[in-house]
Amino acid sequence: MKDKILMIVFVLALGSILTAALVAVNYLTTPVIEKNEEIATKSSILKALSISFEPDQVEETFANKVKQRQRNGTTYYVAEDGNIAFPYSGSGLWGPIEGIVAIQPNFQTLEGVTISRQEETPGLGSRITEPQYLAQFEGKRFAEGLKLVQPGRSSADNQIDSITGATMTSEAFVKILNENIEETVPEIRQGESR
Amino acid sequence: MKSATLGKGQSLKTFLNGVWRDHPIFSMILGICSALAVSNKVENAIAMGAGVTFVLLATGLLIAMLRRLIPTRVRMITYMIIIATFVIVVDRVLKALFPDISQAIGPYVGLIITNCIIMGRAEAFYIQNKIGQSLIDALANGFGYTYTLVSVAVVRELLGFGTILGFQVMPEGFTKWVVMAMAPGAFFVLAIFIWIGRSLAGMEAE
Repeated sequence: MKDKILMIVFVLALGSILTAALVAVNYLTTPVIEKNEEIATKSSILKALSISFEPDQVEETFANKVKQRQRNGTTYYVAEDGNIAFPYSGSGLWGPIEGIVAIQPNFQTLEGVTISRQEETPGLGSRITEPQYLAQFEGKRFAEGLKLVQPGRSSADNQIDSITGATMTSEAFVKILNENIEETVPEIRQGESR
Repeated sequence: MKSATLGKGQSLKTFLNGVWRDHPIFSMILGICSALAVSNKVENAIAMGAGVTFVLLATGLLIAMLRRLIPTRVRMITYMIIIATFVIVVDRVLKALFPDISQAIGPYVGLIITNCIIMGRAEAFYIQNKIGQSLIDALANGFGYTYTLVSVAVVRELLGFGTILGFQVMPEGFTKWVVMAMAPGAFFVLAIFIWIGRSLAGMEAE
């Protein structure tokens, strides 16, 4: 009996001490982690808006060149030259894909797309994050929806090349973009026309 | 009576066992999951190796310190609580100080908890040995794990991405071996390493 009580006391004491240590670590690291995430989001927005910046001056550049606005709970970001960026998200092949998409002031063409989170197949689907792949979105017309075509076949100004060996991810990515644009752009348009 | 020289010899033996004879990956085939998953880039392998080594050291220290206090019937849960605590510390610190690496190895940091090397060493060594020996054993096993991971990663990153630590090594027109960046590449390379390691150590398959 005494053994059992000692056993429980031991487990409880050890658990409490270690939990206290974890609380301390959490308290110390949370502000730094939140700051990192904020900087990552801001640099993603700047990239989508094609604003060049120094890696250590994300905060300053963002504060000087981008204005944050809201419309019906949709947050979006307006650059000096009128380009507008907003976050998108959706389901890829294996997990969520999130990032920032930027449109030009004409509400017809894309300015840029960035990806901040994805869990696609490394080396295949994850190639959607490569700058060369994302560069093709610049200047594409989204008004009638983006259309996926076979690798290297894009000719019209709303066509997007897919990636060899990663058809499902390519399809999911274009679908996510179309859905988010369709939902968010009208909101922003109303917000901006007031 | 233990003399000083005997103590030293013992330490050396413990260390050599960890990095070579009882090497966690070659000899005991422990920790394979994470070795396969995060050996696609050298940077990730170093971060993972450092993480596992830190958890081994911290766990070894605490378990060896508490070895007379830990009730035998709850020793497993004790290891689990201790390991889990240090893994969460590693995860938070990586997220705070090295966000890029943290994102690259993502869920595998949390999976250090289930890395059998740590559980295995706790049960086989730390619970029965003094603090000093346990720390040497932890360091040796951590080092053994890390150098294997890094060697596998060098081969995989070179062939799969054409780079080492992000620097372009292969010539411009080099065709990347996509399979090396993916899980099957890890199986091939790790199997070859285990084969070479076991042949050199003269181990026989049982």
